Amino acid sequence: MPACARLVGVEKWFGSVRALAGADLTLEAGRIHGVLGENGAGKSTLLGILGGLIAPDSGTIEIEGAAVRLGSPGDAWTRGVGLVHQHFALVPTFTVLENLSLGRRGGSRVGRLDLRRVRERVQALSERTGLSVTLDAPVSSLGVGERQRVEILKALLRDPKILVLDEPTAVLAPSEVERLFDLLRDLASSGTSVALVAHKLDEVLAVAQDFTVLREGRTVLKGSRAEVDAVSLTRAMIGGDEGAARPGITRKVVQPVRTSGDAVPSEVVASLVDVSTRDEAGGLFLRGVGLEVRRGELVGIAGVGGNGQRELALILAGRRRPDAGVAHLPDEVAFIPQDRIGQGLIADFSLVENAALTLQRSSAFRTGPILRWGAIRSAARDLIREYDVRASGASVPARSLSGGNQQRLVVARELRVARDLLVAENPTRGLDVMSAAFVHASIRARVLEGDAATRPGMVLISTDLDEILALATRILVISRGRLSPVAPDLHTREGVGTLMVGGSSA
Amino acid sequence: MFEALAWVAFLEASVRLGVPLALAALGETITERSGVINIGLEGSIIAGALGGALGALATGSAGTGILLGGVAGMAVAGVFAALAIGLGTDQIITGTAVTLGGLGVTGAVYQARFGVTGTALSLPTLDRWSVPVLSDIPMLGSPLFDQPPTTYLVYALGPILWYWLFRTSWGLELRAAGEAPDAARAAGVRVLKVRAVAALFGGLLAGVAGAHLALAHTGTFAENMSAGRGFIAIAVVVLGRWHPGWVVVAAMFFGAASALQFLLQAFGLDVPYQLFLALPYVLTLAALAGWVGRATAPAALALPWPRRR
Repeated sequence: MPACARLVGVEKWFGSVRALAGADLTLEAGRIHGVLGENGAGKSTLLGILGGLIAPDSGTIEIEGAAVRLGSPGDAWTRGVGLVHQHFALVPTFTVLENLSLGRRGGSRVGRLDLRRVRERVQALSERTGLSVTLDAPVSSLGVGERQRVEILKALLRDPKILVLDEPTAVLAPSEVERLFDLLRDLASSGTSVALVAHKLDEVLAVAQDFTVLREGRTVLKGSRAEVDAVSLTRAMIGGDEGAARPGITRKVVQPVRTSGDAVPSEVVASLVDVSTRDEAGGLFLRGVGLEVRRGELVGIAGVGGNGQRELALILAGRRRPDAGVAHLPDEVAFIPQDRIGQGLIADFSLVENAALTLQRSSAFRTGPILRWGAIRSAARDLIREYDVRASGASVPARSLSGGNQQRLVVARELRVARDLLVAENPTRGLDVMSAAFVHASIRARVLEGDAATRPGMVLISTDLDEILALATRILVISRGRLSPVAPDLHTREGVGTLMVGGSSA
Repeated sequence: MFEALAWVAFLEASVRLGVPLALAALGETITERSGVINIGLEGSIIAGALGGALGALATGSAGTGILLGGVAGMAVAGVFAALAIGLGTDQIITGTAVTLGGLGVTGAVYQARFGVTGTALSLPTLDRWSVPVLSDIPMLGSPLFDQPPTTYLVYALGPILWYWLFRTSWGLELRAAGEAPDAARAAGVRVLKVRAVAALFGGLLAGVAGAHLALAHTGTFAENMSAGRGFIAIAVVVLGRWHPGWVVVAAMFFGAASALQFLLQAFGLDVPYQLFLALPYVLTLAALAGWVGRATAPAALALPWPRRR
């Protein structure tokens, strides 16, 4: 079988982050190719390179046997590569028809825009493919599902030889997914080469004939449908057992919720009842989420990024109201946000002032509205010493600290004020191994050890599965804005990992 | 009879004062629709005025002067485009620098060429063209249709640019570059090229506007004779909601505000004329302060692209 497109040894750096470290991908004509990998594995980068959106730092791209340089999406179009974007590349203020006309020099030579002709073509294509759209509505008024259909139509209008779809199913209803897959099969049978990224393993297994799995920017598995199955693909994606040996993260035997020794469950400190949120485009982010957090338990929320974690964190921290449903929260919630600078700390404030930001809630640190700076300063010094924050003094600005030390300060401060509920979102992202281990140990000491009556309940939202497995007493998986509990006997990389990528928990 | 004459004079002055604003604002409309705000418009206008004056003096032809004025305005916009689009510098700062630089350089060139004595230059002026039939319409005819050809350029450009923006694929690509440059690029639009061409076109029209000031409006060149028209033209674009047709109307409205002083003086109203001089600027503030209603500015206006990582 002749290769329709071949990418070999592709590398790409974004600043100091290596998104691709020698990835390969071979697409064949007339076949559907599933590209799999965890978040951040480099799938979108690789497909963006094939679509001409991103220039690779090294590696070769061949299309139909000829080495090519794809300097822009226009180049890729000319070579017959059509890219359907994950983040919609549509002009919100334009109508659907205008968006579909963009970049197409149809009509006469002076560039007259023959909207009627485009309309006819789109209508014919819509009928043939079953992708219906409202042509005269501005894109900004459309829901995400319909925007996705517009993106797909936009690519198909150019009759691509290679159709690349980055996460097309994430926002589609199940029936629409089926129709899309039928369409892809039709296209493949007429000779088009299709590359497809999807988080959900079962979807990709249902439609693809060839598979490539990326992990940490490398191609770790290639195979046809006959050579792979859900287990081998999952293992390749999450790295099997080898990933568990990562230093700095202590695995522990995970126990089911353990309360103060007797069978009486401890007090509920926070609960969410049927909470939903909308994003600006009107799509739901959280869909009817229910959650109870008890004193002394550490609830881990696992999931690939972008499945509603941010909204869940903001709601639990009391920084956002649900659009529907009720959130019962304690008066004060301690919050360790994902962004240290920006949400956790004020870069130009001194360490003492930053400590004061949340310490001042406690009456020990103020007299009415007047801050007791002496008490705050000595408390801040204690925190800096206790949590080993490396700084040249308590009055230096937070920006002068390294990321790890900034995070230690945030964690120290929040653990100090956490009485009822502590919420953390990716608390160790971007930290060095030592700092990450220290943060974990601090959290464990405050939430899981000591007198049950004085411990807060905690929700740990993390895309790092090892972190969840190391700390949580109870695990839920968040996927497409929904929470589902993970049975205690599935508290393993494979068990949770399979649920995270959308497999069944049976 | 006197009132009728005053009325005709008022209309004529409105158009005369509105035309340079309309030219500059039409060009800026195209520039801004592509996502670039060129505050350096004033620099292009003053360069166009000097270029027009020198060209007309050298060749003896006002028409050639207008063309050279356009080229001079475009050259100034080229400096702006190289920095703001090519290098992605801040558009507001760059535009301000280009305006101040334009005013300074033209002043220096003028003094070097004609000395500091300030005897007014006498330039060949653009002849009026009287449009048959239309110019005979009572009251409206002579103020609107017995004018220099640059006036008719404004009448023509309004609909032409409207058609170009909204009915051609070039216009669609230009607007896409101004609304969502990432999406435009994904669709194969060469965003930087589109923006550069749009900025040059804006400079061309601003240069013609400046040359019109020198060769049709006053018949001379003076330092700083652009007198803030570049900034008013930017307000005109806002008031005209980035739509070529409304921009022409808005420019004429500002022209009328400037011309009001002639009408009111003719009626013998005892109001200090400085108040009327200030009127266009007050209107500028009012327009920017939200008379325009909900903002409809291109979504990517003034944002350097591609964003630096």
